[in-house]
Amino acid sequence: MSTTDRLVRTRWWLPAVSLLLGAIMFAAFAIGGETADGAQSFAVMAALAALFFFGSRRSETLGGLGGPARDERWEMIDLRATALAGMVLIAVVIGAFLYEIASGEDGSPYSQLGAIAGVAYVLAIAAGRLRS
Amino acid sequence: MRNEVRSLRAGRDLSQQQLGEAMGVSRQTINSIEKERYTPSLPLAIALARYFDRPVEEIFHVDH
Repeated sequence: MSTTDRLVRTRWWLPAVSLLLGAIMFAAFAIGGETADGAQSFAVMAALAALFFFGSRRSETLGGLGGPARDERWEMIDLRATALAGMVLIAVVIGAFLYEIASGEDGSPYSQLGAIAGVAYVLAIAAGRLRS
Repeated sequence: MRNEVRSLRAGRDLSQQQLGEAMGVSRQTINSIEKERYTPSLPLAIALARYFDRPVEEIFHVDH
């Protein structure tokens, strides 16, 4: 296994994804009749794309987020950051679910989101065990 | 992990950037390895050992 084959993304990758997401958000807002909000969303995503594109050469963090500076160390950083973000999100979902049921509601949509997260985790564990 | 990467690199008069390019990783990753903040993967450790023509265990030391 080569360590060079991990440097596969270019500095265009994340800016392009940001612009694409901005365009999709604009389309979704436009379909819902909120074109002005869609334009604002696209402008924010375009600004992010520019930040990732121009900042990737000056900042290792932006370069790693954007792709070109990624290597095995960045993969580890990304994996840990993703796991932490997932834990934070699940904790918030559980907290919101508890708040909803304590307020006399049925817990939706947090119960479903929590169930999806739990199932995804178990499936990922099973797949990881089979592959290793 | 304690290692000899910095001294071996200096012995060949290489910059971190040059060694990083030779290994296919960033300058910052070489810096992190030298500062013992990052333990390289087995493939990268072997690549470094081959590059410096040393056994892996002479470059990386497991402290007990």
